[in-house]
Amino acid sequence: MANKFDIDPELVKKLAELLGETGLTEIEFESSGKRIRVARPVVSASPADTISETPATSTAATNTGTATEHQKGTHIVSPMVGTIFLSPEPGAEPFIQVGDIISEGQTVMLIEAMKTYNPVRATVSGKVVQILVGDSTPVEFGEELLLVE
Amino acid sequence: MFEKILIANRGEIALRIHRACKEMGISTVAVHSTADADAMHVRLADESVCLGPAPAKDSYLSIPAIVSAATITGAEAVHPGYGFLSEEASFASILEEHGFTFIGPSAEHITLMGDKVAAKVAVAENGVPVVPGSLGALQTVADARKTAEEIGYPVLIKAAGGGGGRGMQIVRSAEEVEGAYRMARTEAKASFQNDTVYMEKFLEKPRHIEVQVFADGQGHAVHLGERDCSLQRRHQKVLEEARSPALNDAEREKIGKIAADAVRRIGYRNAGTIEFLYQDGEFYFIEMNTRLQVEHPVTEMITGIDMVREQIRVAAGLPLSFDQKEISFEGHAIECRITAEHPETFVPSPGRITDYHPPGGMSVRVDSGLYAGYNMPPHYDSLVAKLVVHGRNRNECLMRLRRSLEEFVIGGIETTIPLHAKIIENSDFLNGTYDIHWLERFVMGDIVDN
Repeated sequence: MANKFDIDPELVKKLAELLGETGLTEIEFESSGKRIRVARPVVSASPADTISETPATSTAATNTGTATEHQKGTHIVSPMVGTIFLSPEPGAEPFIQVGDIISEGQTVMLIEAMKTYNPVRATVSGKVVQILVGDSTPVEFGEELLLVE
Repeated sequence: MFEKILIANRGEIALRIHRACKEMGISTVAVHSTADADAMHVRLADESVCLGPAPAKDSYLSIPAIVSAATITGAEAVHPGYGFLSEEASFASILEEHGFTFIGPSAEHITLMGDKVAAKVAVAENGVPVVPGSLGALQTVADARKTAEEIGYPVLIKAAGGGGGRGMQIVRSAEEVEGAYRMARTEAKASFQNDTVYMEKFLEKPRHIEVQVFADGQGHAVHLGERDCSLQRRHQKVLEEARSPALNDAEREKIGKIAADAVRRIGYRNAGTIEFLYQDGEFYFIEMNTRLQVEHPVTEMITGIDMVREQIRVAAGLPLSFDQKEISFEGHAIECRITAEHPETFVPSPGRITDYHPPGGMSVRVDSGLYAGYNMPPHYDSLVAKLVVHGRNRNECLMRLRRSLEEFVIGGIETTIPLHAKIIENSDFLNGTYDIHWLERFVMGDIVDN
């Protein structure tokens, strides 16, 4: 989903700084329907790749976030439009966590569309490098959900 | 009023709806397939959601995907445009079940008008003229002869189970009835394993004239005049004009009132179009379209009414913003449907648009999603632009249309612009003397211009 709204550069900068200060890998800020996610790679890319050293920004759920462009691996993308859930029910353990080894066909998330819950199955096997969406996030068809190496 | 509307369509009509929304201060959500990620309706909308892959059945026709898109974006209403899900009753009812407003008529009215037999009965009961014919199957030759006398020659004997012209016989006089009746039954039996035949009045040279109606479901219904859509190729309209060169003011008022009264009586809501065949001063109902039509700008040009705006208002529960007395028809308007097809062979021509220059100037409107550099995907309808021109009279309109077609540049693909330029030079067209078969013959080179 490509929300078009005026990006507040100050806010993005502030969030990015916060990212550096706290050592967090991702901050998501939502206010009145507008969402800004600031993230940086969990696994550092090649040493020559200086861009990956700085926090990258992306608006809402655009797939072109520079944070992920410099990472190796395969993306698992959303099979439909809907809302993503990371765990089988509220409060339960998430299906997967960064570092998990997953195999093809395994349920990695749930996606709710028209009040029905559909499993999102891994299309590749490998190690989960990054989870690119938060719990209860709206996603569109083809949106990148996680990175597997 | 709604704050956010999801537009469940693509191309020029998605843009058209977006424009009405923005002028009403309403935010828009565009939906698209992967093939349309760069489309203009996606680029201009406030938000966009990718529904699925390129095939329409997995994207623009996917009700679950569209309902989910409305849910995650918080849209309150959905405008279906034309085509795709616009006349799908289940789409309207599912949206309502999920708490969204469908900008259009009720699911019941979509279903009623979608059933051609039930629709004919329903409108006939409410005073709309239909093609006269036998009430049921013809049982005997005598039966056939009697019915033919009642409705007047020429008549058509048709197979009840048929289609595609088989089992169909034209009868021009009483002497031909017996032979035609037996022939039709034999053909029907051979083609459809069913020798039931019925009779209808045969219209040799009808025009296609349709009446635009608008109702609010609160007891108000009006007509916005007619459009003449006789220029068709393979049952696809190519050029439409309003007012029709064939009607006078009295005829216009009469058929308009019949149409408006009928939709008021059946409790219809929102925009609709009642299509007629017209010949020798008589109208014969074909069908009712329960949606916005491609050619609606022609009506907008002569009435000054923004029909999409009115659709949104009515869907929001407001009464019609005008009554019949406030509607007047000014001048003349023509729409040319420009498609990505070779102007003579009609071979489809999708591809990259290298140059794009739409005509401008006074009273010229172009509804199109094209831009230079746009890659037109091959998966959808070939309509690329609608050129709509208005003039104070038909002659002024035609002169303006001629120069607009000359100005129009769409580079990189073949389009039907040259066909339109040719049509409007023909004397039959200039005189307004054409019927629904005229364009087919013109395209085949069978029309000799003097």
